[in-house]
Amino acid sequence: MVDQMKKPKTVDHSWDNLIAGVQTGNVRAMARLITRVEDREPGWKDAMKTIYPATGSARVFGITGSPGAGKSSLTCEIADELVSRGLTVGIIAVDPSSPFSGGALLGDRLRMKKLFTLKEIFIRSMATRGMLGGLSQAARDVVRIMDVFGKDIILIETVGVGQDEIEVVKAADLVMVVSIPGQGDGIQALKAGIMEIADLYIINKADLPGSEEVMADILAMLELSSEPGETVPPVLKTSALKNYGIKELVTTLLTHQIGKNKQDFKREIQAKEEILSLMESEVFSRISRQWEHSGELDNAIRQMIDKKKDPYSIVTDMLQQFI
Amino acid sequence: MSGIRKPAKKNKKYEEIEIAEKEWKQNVLDKRVSRFNLLKSPTRFYSPLAVKNSNFLGKVGFPGQYPFTAGTNPFDFWRAYAEDAAKMGYRPEWGGAGGVGKYGGFGTAEDYRDYLIRMHSMGRSGGPNMAFDLVTQCGYDSDSPYAEGEVGRVGVAIDSFRDFTTIYEPYTGDLEIDRVPSNFTINAPAAIIIAMYAVLAEKRGIPLEKLRGTPQNDILKEFIARGTYIYPPKQSLRLFRDICVFCTRHMPKLNINSIGGYHIREAGATREQDLAFSMANAAAYIQAGIAGGLDVDSFAPKQTFNAFGGSMEIYQEIALQRAARRIYARMLKERFQAKNPRSMMIRQPITAHIGCSSTTLQRPLNNLTRAVVGGMAAGMSGGMPGVFPPYDEPLGLGHSQEAVQLQLDATRILIYEAKVADVNDPWAGSYFMESLTDEIESGTMAEMEKIEKMGGAVAAIENGYMQKAVSKSAYAKQNQIERQEEFVVGVNCFTNENEISVNVNRQVEATYDLELLKSAEERQKQKLEKLKRQRNSKTVLSSLSALKDHAKDESANLMIDICECVRNDVTLQEMCDVMREVFGEFQQTKL
Amino acid sequence: MSQGKKIRVLVAKPGLDGHERGAHVVAYGLRDAGFEVIYTGLRQTTKQIVNTAIQEDVDVVGLSILSGAHLSLTRKVIDGLKTQGAEDIMVIVGGIVPEGDIPLLKDMGVKEVFTAGTPVSAISDFIGAAVSSI
Repeated sequence: MVDQMKKPKTVDHSWDNLIAGVQTGNVRAMARLITRVEDREPGWKDAMKTIYPATGSARVFGITGSPGAGKSSLTCEIADELVSRGLTVGIIAVDPSSPFSGGALLGDRLRMKKLFTLKEIFIRSMATRGMLGGLSQAARDVVRIMDVFGKDIILIETVGVGQDEIEVVKAADLVMVVSIPGQGDGIQALKAGIMEIADLYIINKADLPGSEEVMADILAMLELSSEPGETVPPVLKTSALKNYGIKELVTTLLTHQIGKNKQDFKREIQAKEEILSLMESEVFSRISRQWEHSGELDNAIRQMIDKKKDPYSIVTDMLQQFI
Repeated sequence: MSGIRKPAKKNKKYEEIEIAEKEWKQNVLDKRVSRFNLLKSPTRFYSPLAVKNSNFLGKVGFPGQYPFTAGTNPFDFWRAYAEDAAKMGYRPEWGGAGGVGKYGGFGTAEDYRDYLIRMHSMGRSGGPNMAFDLVTQCGYDSDSPYAEGEVGRVGVAIDSFRDFTTIYEPYTGDLEIDRVPSNFTINAPAAIIIAMYAVLAEKRGIPLEKLRGTPQNDILKEFIARGTYIYPPKQSLRLFRDICVFCTRHMPKLNINSIGGYHIREAGATREQDLAFSMANAAAYIQAGIAGGLDVDSFAPKQTFNAFGGSMEIYQEIALQRAARRIYARMLKERFQAKNPRSMMIRQPITAHIGCSSTTLQRPLNNLTRAVVGGMAAGMSGGMPGVFPPYDEPLGLGHSQEAVQLQLDATRILIYEAKVADVNDPWAGSYFMESLTDEIESGTMAEMEKIEKMGGAVAAIENGYMQKAVSKSAYAKQNQIERQEEFVVGVNCFTNENEISVNVNRQVEATYDLELLKSAEERQKQKLEKLKRQRNSKTVLSSLSALKDHAKDESANLMIDICECVRNDVTLQEMCDVMREVFGEFQQTKL
Repeated sequence: MSQGKKIRVLVAKPGLDGHERGAHVVAYGLRDAGFEVIYTGLRQTTKQIVNTAIQEDVDVVGLSILSGAHLSLTRKVIDGLKTQGAEDIMVIVGGIVPEGDIPLLKDMGVKEVFTAGTPVSAISDFIGAAVSSI
């Protein structure tokens, strides 16, 4: 594995300069600020505190669904259509990090080539970096940076089969779940938590045989799980490659009303999750740093291996210092 | 009676050998293995036990007869005249005897034409064996933004019929196009180039039935390995169908395609993947022709192969060639009900070889040694014992005269001194080779079945299966080399010895003036401007409009409209763009 | 799993050259060496490459070129990065590059050229050393 300590850049990329650059629409500044915040370089929290008041105007849409559903192509077409309606777009494309090497192959851009030279579009590929719950925080931070830059719409595209990917989509105001015909037990994949967060269902590659069946399956599922009187999320058909259904989808996105109560409730849950997750990572990092530094952790490991102490008591005893 | 006794006798023979083998293992082999403290023997030996179900007539047969395992024919054209050729000092790649010349192409159409004239003046009078620049291969004109820096670089630039006509200016009289063949290494816009060839004949009053040659026209491998595609696979096969029907009807002497497993292997595929994907592609092309209303025997004899891939593993490459011939013959006979033996033959210019990716940049002279191994494999697998490539191939500076001379002489030494090609399929009947052939055949068939279950080659490309398989194999091979699980001499072992660097100031035959390349883009652009001013824009628009309408109609044969566009000086990109509008462009699958 | 800084590399194929084997092998190899690799596939214009490099804030742009057009294409990428104030992004080149052209590329600003047969570990080690503060 390669040493990950990076040389500071020769160009002046101080926090202040970068934030000023983002506020004046400098693309490089935004890109650099995202890196420094994602890398959790010292000072990142202060930077986020500084920009936080200016956030809140961008709308955030999440796109999830199993691999092969055509999410990247769909994201590309949605962004293209948004630009043609005069809006600016930020895209966050998430891919999993390798649990073995810590590296990642970020290949979603390959399906979005026509957007690369549009000045209205900024695409950032992010790896999950193996942090449980950590990615959703980093994604929230990147969303805020794009928001402050002035992006009208931010699209977050992820995989939708792991827990990580469902986490990140909780940072979105509206979540789309994409399926395709002929996936057989693809509807199964929709279970694990996704149905609770989905606001809109999309059947992509709708020109392929089996799209009616998938539509029927989803509608049946929604019937069963909805409360009486509750509005059922819309189910739309698209073909990203054939540019079919995209205009209707984008109109739905821009006008879709999640019930007001549901929206407030959602905001509360998101705020609570963010505060608790920040608290969790902050507490953990402070405490673990101290334990490692003081050598207490090494002692504890020795004690456990030598069977002198059990791990439950180790933790309770170590925490006495703080609580 | 005798029918009942034979099996018993055979079984008894095998029993005897089994017992003997057991005894040998205990007393000789295992003793030796443990003497050297090994876990198992580093070598293998094959006895009759390896081919218990051998069936000479059913699985091997005679050269030139089904199932063609022993060879597509008893001897090739070159072998018939080998002794005369030696006495005359004949150079086959110079054409003459009605063949194509050396593979090449460069610069503007005028540059390439002038090169051909120079070749003719030196007695190298072969037909054009055309390489096209990437701009043309990808369906763009020289004034496209994609063309920047690429015009005329890896081949000649063709923007319109005028360019095509220019190239053929030297081909008149004895070299008229009904006397010399043409090869076109073109895939995605093959329909356009073939149409240009047809219209050229038309303008010269040459009957189309007399035209010979080979367009590569193997679009499916482009998605998998070579990257010069335009439209998605389904629509690309529609174009193939149209070409196939048109050629079968009007240009029956023209080969329809030149299928390459070679490119797939060079992109990193394993031997079985190379063969299986080639066969799947071949099947898809045949299905396209049949879908066009043709009887399989009316066009399958014109389906050819470029080459399969190669490697340094000489035995395996020979076995691959045998397996390939058998698999293809069976596929045509059993799956496609072909009756004509010529439909079942693999016609290809070369057989086994090492593959250019087996050559190394380090200690380049070793590449001659490697290429000789390839020549041996070729001669023993039914082809000319061609020693290829020239040793300086990886230097990227063109082949020096010295390297070419060594290459040619090495081939000649194998033919005339070692007499490698004097025996058909010398390994036929070898316990090892027959067992190895069976192994490669079954591995390949398993892969072919996998692809058929997905829906065939088109489906396996649309879902990214073939592409991903190739890149995974490439990565696995790289890891094997970096971990020294595979050895490449001078690269990952035996390095830091005498580096034997090659003198870079070698004599490379000055075929092209590199200065011309600098102005090629500008000169092509000027010609395009002139063309667009001079031509009749009404007929341009109407023929493009007809092309568009018929492109939307699945049942229409686009060769008719493409020929009309060609006659009206529509440019290559204009035709391709209209089809882009209707067919869409292929979107790569993610890595 | 180490959080924090990751080295980001863009593996790009400029121009119309369609041979991807080298680019794929390097992309996989760098991922297995712990880098975050952005791969954008075939037929990238130099403008697309520059924009991607800046938006993704990569530490390295690796150009894979086998068509012989390496001098003109690399020149455009380096100029493009400079114009956008990103000349601190390192550029490396791989593929088919005649030895005589290597000094020309380096004069343009290319940090290193990796020709055929280079093990991927050599590339990841080089990048790691060049980008790291040690």
